[in-house]
Amino acid sequence: MAEKIEVSGFRHFFQTEGGPVQATGTIDLSIRAGEFVTLVGPSGCGKTTLLKAIAGFITPSEGSIVCDGKPVKGPGRDRGVVFQELAILPWRTVRRNIAHGLEIARVPRVQRDATVTRLVGLMGLVGFEDRYPHELSGGMRQRVAVARTWAADPEIILMDEPFAAVDAMTRLTLQEELGRLCVATRKTVFFITHSVEEAVFLADRVLVMTKRPGTIKAVLDVPRREAGGRDWDSFTSDPVMQKIAGEVMHLVHAERV
Amino acid sequence: MKLLAPLRVLMPFAVLVAIWWGIKSGAQVPDKLLVAPPAVWASFVYLVTHGILAEYASASLRMIGLAAMISFVIGVPLGFAVGTNRYAARALEGTLRFLQGISGIAWLPLAILWFGFSNTTTLTIVIYTLIVPIVFNTMTGVRAIPENYVLALQSLGAGRLRIVRDVYLPGALPSIVVGMRLGMGYGWRALIASEMLVRQGGLGDLIFSARTFSQIDRIMVGMVVIGTLYIIVDRLLVQPIETMTIARWGILRR
Ligand SMILES: Nc1ncnc2c1ncn2[C@@H]1O[C@H](COP(=O)(O)OP(=O)(O)OP(=O)(O)O)[C@@H](O)[C@H]1O
Ligand SMILES: [Mg+2]
Repeated sequence: MAEKIEVSGFRHFFQTEGGPVQATGTIDLSIRAGEFVTLVGPSGCGKTTLLKAIAGFITPSEGSIVCDGKPVKGPGRDRGVVFQELAILPWRTVRRNIAHGLEIARVPRVQRDATVTRLVGLMGLVGFEDRYPHELSGGMRQRVAVARTWAADPEIILMDEPFAAVDAMTRLTLQEELGRLCVATRKTVFFITHSVEEAVFLADRVLVMTKRPGTIKAVLDVPRREAGGRDWDSFTSDPVMQKIAGEVMHLVHAERV
Repeated sequence: MKLLAPLRVLMPFAVLVAIWWGIKSGAQVPDKLLVAPPAVWASFVYLVTHGILAEYASASLRMIGLAAMISFVIGVPLGFAVGTNRYAARALEGTLRFLQGISGIAWLPLAILWFGFSNTTTLTIVIYTLIVPIVFNTMTGVRAIPENYVLALQSLGAGRLRIVRDVYLPGALPSIVVGMRLGMGYGWRALIASEMLVRQGGLGDLIFSARTFSQIDRIMVGMVVIGTLYIIVDRLLVQPIETMTIARWGILRR
């Protein structure tokens, strides 16, 4: 399969008043089209920095990032982003937030509404379409953010701990939904998380980073996801999956800060 | 309860008038220093029926309106330009604070030398007074917008104009309105001061020329009108806009 994202020799320094701060070690990474890659690593190791570079928000200090054979020059609608901190607009209703990408792409109203209706159903937001974000719970807001990215239908989706603020129960459902959705729509996904279980559950491949300044320490392949995605019941009782989760846990533990 | 509300607002004024009247008659203050409320009322009626008050007051209102419009049209884009550019913001922040320290009135000597005793002088002074808080607050408002809002829109394919319209404008609106409100308050005071010196009409001119003929009643009418008009403009025009935007966006932002 074709390489969708290629990161080679990436390293980043932030320029600050106290001089340059090294945010990551040297990172090489490639993600194939349709692949779901998750990244785990200790806080501050440079996960968000890497994601932002792929998104085109920051220009790498060293190395190159290529998406679809073209060097990344800046953000674009081919790469959707779900942020670690909340980034939906407080002055737009749920509906208008979700439809924002479509509005920008000048998609006709009828089609926009259809997409919103579909995603609102999928994300369990029915009845909240005309509410403002401050009227929603933290978890619901994050679901709006995911829906907004999804609605714009980018080929690549970059997610930075999207479910960190979601309650544990909803999280399980969202993870299952996300898995199913990604298999069905053949999205290429780069997904950052702190949760080892989540990383293994969702991934075709799990990357583990070292502590700051982080490099990629290990890559673990997870057996192919079934067509319908995974579900937590079979995941927890599957010895192969549990073995991989154990390995990742072990690797992550060694990097405790 | 609703009917009592205006009463509660007007009560302190009634007390103020009572004290004024008490001092006037109790201490036998001569008319050339202070007149009694009925004399001021009579003067008010005279100024109104002869159209004098309308002429002077409308001159002031026109001037503040014009200045507010020009300041808004120039100040908001300027605030955006500065607010979205980190270097410009850092460079200008000090300058803006410095200018805030020099009141509009302190520019009067220079303005008179440049534009003479004309309405241009007054307009310049009022615009200067109004525009600084507008630029400053717009800038602050823009800078308080989380960067992620902008980044998220860029990833949705938004161009610069779209980001200004969908993120910067609604995000900074509550601050812009606050800047506008502050500016109107400062601007109104600067306007009266400038009118007193320039003497080309307006309520400042009205009360300053009344001084020449020791028309205390007329001076006091002018002062009351100045205060009242400010409250009317602020409460009936600026504050509702503020409440509206803050209710819709400001609180939503938290
Ligand atoms: N804008 C910035 N300016 C200076 N240093 C920064 C900046 N952003 C991040 N850093 C530093 O770079 C390092 C990597 O940050 P990054 O946000 O990528 O970590 P992370 O792995 O995403 O952490 P977390 O899991 O806590 O989100 C950190 O040490 C951080 O302090
Ligand atoms: Mg992070």
